[in-house]
Amino acid sequence: MFLEFVEGPLWYFSVVVFVVGVLWRLVDVFRQPSRTDLSAARAGGVAGALRTIVTRSWTAKGFSRGATFHLVAGYMFHIGLFVLLIFAAPHVKFIEERILGFGWTPAPHWVFMVASDLAFAGILLLWLRRLMHPVMRKISTFDDHAAAILTFVVMLTGCLALLKSHDSLRAIHMLTVCLLMIYFPFSRLMHAFTFPISRAYTGAAMARKGVNA
Amino acid sequence: MARMKFLCDTERCIECNGCVTACKNEHEIPWGINRRRVVTINDGEKGERSMSVACMHCSDAPCMAVCPVDCFFQTADGVVLHDKDICIGCGYCFYACPFGAPQFPTGGVFGSRGKMDKCTFCAGGPGEANSAEQVRKYGRNRLAEGKLPLCAEMCATKALLAGDGNLVADIFRQRMAYRGAAGLGTGWGVAYDKGLRKGSGLEGKAAGKDE
Amino acid sequence: MSDHLSQSAIPTEPRRHGLRAWVRARLTRPLLALLAFVLIAPLVPYAAMYAERGNVPNPGTALWNEVRQRTGPIDADTQVRGVESNVLINQVGERWREFRSKMLVPAGAWLLLGTLAFLALFRTLRGTIPLEGGRSGQLVPRFSVNQRVVHWFAAILFVFLAVTGLVLLYGRFVLIPLLGPEGFSATAAAAKEGHNLFGPIFPFAVLAMLVLFARGNGFRWIDVKWFFKAGGLLKGHPASSGYYNGGQKSWFWMVLLFGIAISVSGLILDFGVFGQGREVMALAHVVHGGVAVVFIAASLGHIYIGTIGMEGAFESMSHGYVDANWAREHHDLWLAEMEAAGMVGVEPNALEEVKRHDNIDFKGFGSPGTKAVEG
Repeated sequence: MFLEFVEGPLWYFSVVVFVVGVLWRLVDVFRQPSRTDLSAARAGGVAGALRTIVTRSWTAKGFSRGATFHLVAGYMFHIGLFVLLIFAAPHVKFIEERILGFGWTPAPHWVFMVASDLAFAGILLLWLRRLMHPVMRKISTFDDHAAAILTFVVMLTGCLALLKSHDSLRAIHMLTVCLLMIYFPFSRLMHAFTFPISRAYTGAAMARKGVNA
Repeated sequence: MARMKFLCDTERCIECNGCVTACKNEHEIPWGINRRRVVTINDGEKGERSMSVACMHCSDAPCMAVCPVDCFFQTADGVVLHDKDICIGCGYCFYACPFGAPQFPTGGVFGSRGKMDKCTFCAGGPGEANSAEQVRKYGRNRLAEGKLPLCAEMCATKALLAGDGNLVADIFRQRMAYRGAAGLGTGWGVAYDKGLRKGSGLEGKAAGKDE
Repeated sequence: MSDHLSQSAIPTEPRRHGLRAWVRARLTRPLLALLAFVLIAPLVPYAAMYAERGNVPNPGTALWNEVRQRTGPIDADTQVRGVESNVLINQVGERWREFRSKMLVPAGAWLLLGTLAFLALFRTLRGTIPLEGGRSGQLVPRFSVNQRVVHWFAAILFVFLAVTGLVLLYGRFVLIPLLGPEGFSATAAAAKEGHNLFGPIFPFAVLAMLVLFARGNGFRWIDVKWFFKAGGLLKGHPASSGYYNGGQKSWFWMVLLFGIAISVSGLILDFGVFGQGREVMALAHVVHGGVAVVFIAASLGHIYIGTIGMEGAFESMSHGYVDANWAREHHDLWLAEMEAAGMVGVEPNALEEVKRHDNIDFKGFGSPGTKAVEG
């Protein structure tokens, strides 16, 4: 009964909130006015935008000492998360049945598990560093902690339901997924969609100014 | 009530694997799971023996003792069954079983085995006998229909006996008396080695002497 | 002499007459002998057989010895392909079942409950170990950011694995009455999957603990003296100590050794696809379970002292700083080192912390005899 509710009405509601919310936020970003730059462009903005989207994926020279932990743990988490979200067999099945109508070959089980291990270790290390590092502790808001904890809980409930044997465990996982989807557009998790926009804007602006940034 | 038991007469087993095939067919057992197997000792040598082994439905079943979720139960007939809805696939029953009866569908990493499956003495599992769900999960329930396990029924030489432990033991005792003690380990002696038989003074009825 | 009469003339008892007396007199002994013969004679053939038995070998001996693998591995084949599928009788299972049911489960329960009881008793009698001199307000840096991150990483993993492991060991006795068979099945399924997935991360946590906490954890003579003074736990008998005291060093080595044992046995159990037979798996389980209960019991003491058992201890791992008075009372020699290095009374200013953090992160804050920070 609970499973039917969570996979039925609650799922549809959270999808609506997610899609509408994300689109709203993105439209809002593009609606922001920007001052026209009257000076002559030194280099193409598009090229700069694309370049910066790529180059921001690693730390700039000189910052590596302080940022290595974040870089490594960050990629552990993100790559692990994407692999398990997109290529884990139960997820592919769900996408095929409930979202897209088509699927793809899922990854072998051990790939799913290794990706999960990396993702769990990564997010735990990142969140603990947020708590322990004096600067990060001071600048962290409720949103920062909530996003990390909620994501961790979604992953954890998924892990607990791996045996695929009990409806109750699957229902709890679906419930936390729905909560995450509802929370998503109102939180820092929007960085998943806004990071290319932010990097592109910076890159274009810097390129037009002739700055190698 | 009768306690159900298996007994495989090693003197009669000819390793035809009929019991294995019957079991797999009757219960639609998927690839990789083998509830029953025939083991041949000293293949091709003097003293070759074969024995068919599956779950022995122990009175004090070790699998039942070590299961962390207590999914095993024993029927009034002494048949050891388990509930697949409760099983978590941990594998402890397999470590404890002397006969290697528990089988698992996947041999995956990170301890992912799937639900345990094993010989049910053709008695199905929990739930309504021979309901579609029970048949899908555990196979046919022949005991509820008053029949004995198919492996023993299909045995070509009646080496594999199954049923009331007292009756099975009685049949085996009669066979032993007929063969004499020479039949135990050196059956070749009964067939080929007259000198061995006579020397030990252990002829039975099979030697043709009046008793 | 004339008064010497013949035996037959002296009446000993009145003579009886009649058939009964005659039978009794004449036939008693022969009858007894006949009875004995009738009883014993039928046993003679059996005795003969018994005496002769050594000459008649049981023809089934060789077969059944081989089935039981008494003389070596079985020489057998089967059409069913699998690990050890040609083995008819596996000896290890029963020994393992005896160990688990009769030793691990009860002994583990006694150990864990006993530790809890001891800690409760200690707390009742001694209370929280207070800061005798009160807070001085001066802070001393004790654990770096990386040390604290790694410690809590390992701690969270440990607690999760301990809880899920205990659910699998004791749930059948404790939780089935509470949750019912189906409810507990869901709990146990979750516990098993969680335990098996988070387990492989734990060795990395242990390794990280080794790298970041090894410095200063070597045993010295001062630790022996610390043990003799019961670690200063008894009032009025303070014990001297460096950066780590004897108890902490013991815990570090326990984490390392138990951690390695549990990690290796856990990996063997979790990845059973490499042809491990039942003997290997049972042995791995014995190591894993046995070490686990001891590890958990010891961790209860560590957790107690680090959280509610001692005033001023928790902040060392949550903020990385301790009060100077706390250092004086519990790690006096280390405090002296830090005073010499000018590290006492630091301002927990965020910028200063980052500077310190960037300079000395992997080295931690001091160990006997070495300077904590350069520049």
